[in-house]
Amino acid sequence: MPTKHEPDFANMIQVLSRQIPSRPTLFEFGLNDRLLGVLSGEASEDPSSRLGPLRRILKAFHAAGYDYATVSGFRTNTLSFPKGVIEEQKSKSLNAGSMITDRLGFEKYAWPDPNIGDYDLYYDLKDELPAGMKLIASGNGGLLENAIDLVGFETLSLMTLLDEGLTTDIFDAIGSRLLRFYEIVAAIDTVGACIINDDWGFKNQTMFSPEMLRRWIFPWHKKMVATIHNSGKFAILHSCGQLRDVMDDVIHDMNFDAKHSFEDQITPVETAYSLWGDKIAILGGIDMDFLARKPLDLIQARSLQILEKGMVKGGYALGSGNSIPDYIPDENYFAMISARDKYLNNP
Amino acid sequence: MMIHDILAQLTQVVALGKINKNTPLPADMLGQDGASELAFRALEQGITPQAILNDGLLPGMSIIGEKFSRGEAFIANMLISAQAMNAAMEHLKPYFASGEIKSTGTLVLGTVQGDLHDIGKNLVKMILKGDGWEVIDLGTNVSSEAFLNAISSHSDAIVGLSALLTTTMLNMGEVTETLKKHNPETRVYIGGAPVSQSFCQEIGADGYFRDPHSFAKSLRLD
Repeated sequence: MPTKHEPDFANMIQVLSRQIPSRPTLFEFGLNDRLLGVLSGEASEDPSSRLGPLRRILKAFHAAGYDYATVSGFRTNTLSFPKGVIEEQKSKSLNAGSMITDRLGFEKYAWPDPNIGDYDLYYDLKDELPAGMKLIASGNGGLLENAIDLVGFETLSLMTLLDEGLTTDIFDAIGSRLLRFYEIVAAIDTVGACIINDDWGFKNQTMFSPEMLRRWIFPWHKKMVATIHNSGKFAILHSCGQLRDVMDDVIHDMNFDAKHSFEDQITPVETAYSLWGDKIAILGGIDMDFLARKPLDLIQARSLQILEKGMVKGGYALGSGNSIPDYIPDENYFAMISARDKYLNNP
Repeated sequence: MMIHDILAQLTQVVALGKINKNTPLPADMLGQDGASELAFRALEQGITPQAILNDGLLPGMSIIGEKFSRGEAFIANMLISAQAMNAAMEHLKPYFASGEIKSTGTLVLGTVQGDLHDIGKNLVKMILKGDGWEVIDLGTNVSSEAFLNAISSHSDAIVGLSALLTTTMLNMGEVTETLKKHNPETRVYIGGAPVSQSFCQEIGADGYFRDPHSFAKSLRLD
């Protein structure tokens, strides 16, 4: 179990502002249910309580020493886009469950009202938040992710080339609703920052051409970041895959404050930090495969090394490349975050 | 129209993804013949189906594959080119059935058990088909037994394994071991986001490729 650290969201703000935090700071998008149980002391969620599952997340993030807890849109019964039946095991196909393949499908789809949802829950967590802690809110999937879920990857790919009008309408329908979601949650005082989560890349390149992304995806993201900034909050991009060709857009056009999700096979976090760390905060990045399979001493050593760099240059918080799924042994996760104590003992 | 001209046009429309006359792209070719019309016309002119395939369609897929490999084209471009090729192939189907056109070889392809991702696998399928291979696509979440069954009925086939996850890529080792135990000569190739050359060596597979075009290129050199 990690050493207890009292939360102070000011550290996270310093990281997101590319400053050096007063102490090493952790960042994680999500923790698996087993780890949530271990950290919170509650083996399972209390399904009878509205706040119970989120209280358990707050307790777990607090116990691990984060300055915030993440609250995903899917846990708050707010905006979500109903999908078709998607077979899901450890993974899912990007072609599965498509509901909109033509104009008629678009017209018939029951587009959700982003104003409807249990947004009160973010307010009601105020009394549950340990002093110094904030919430970081994320959506229920991003613009491109939801479009892929609704249309299917291959159909959407062809649609971008063969039916530009329908493509525009689909992205506008999703983007405008996500924008409203972020407008609502960013204005809530318990929320200190927002994660806009939208995967854009494969291993070798972006899923779609940069031109397509600039035409249909990025303008909505720019608006979402602006609305989050208008509420005085920070905007974090969680996007997997090879984004090298669009990082300038992320930084200079969309104006994200931080980038999360890194893979050693694509751009190791150490490389990302030296390439972009003076323009955008870099969060997490300890590769998932590395974290899952390497010995504990190597995990701690690598974590300490990047953390030390971050405490010199600023704009860095320690964490995994993506999240902590259940296949990462708990002790490996603890080895990663123990680098913070090691640093504090020998700064 | 000269034989060379029509084959060169076929190459061009496949690379550009112009399926037929009605395809709205590229904008400067609106209303012009696409792969379907040109393939039909080529057959009418007496060009052999093998020449249409080898000298018209496959070079078109090769162009788009190389562009994809260099990061100058994207999956959408590959998909639309594959559709253009398929539209032309519809006219050639009878010649495959009669044995007049020969395939380059047979690839048994699938995403390993536990993994439902199919984009990477489908790209390999498109590129290899575009290189004249017969592809037996076993789909996603494919067990070792299913790969073994496929190989049993296609003894000269090579095998392509795909995975997207750190957890599921480990199943590639089991499939490779099963296939090699059955026939050590069976060549097994792997690909996918978490996979690397060192992992390939670790599990005893015959090759790892970062993208489908370099896979196809390497097979051409064999």
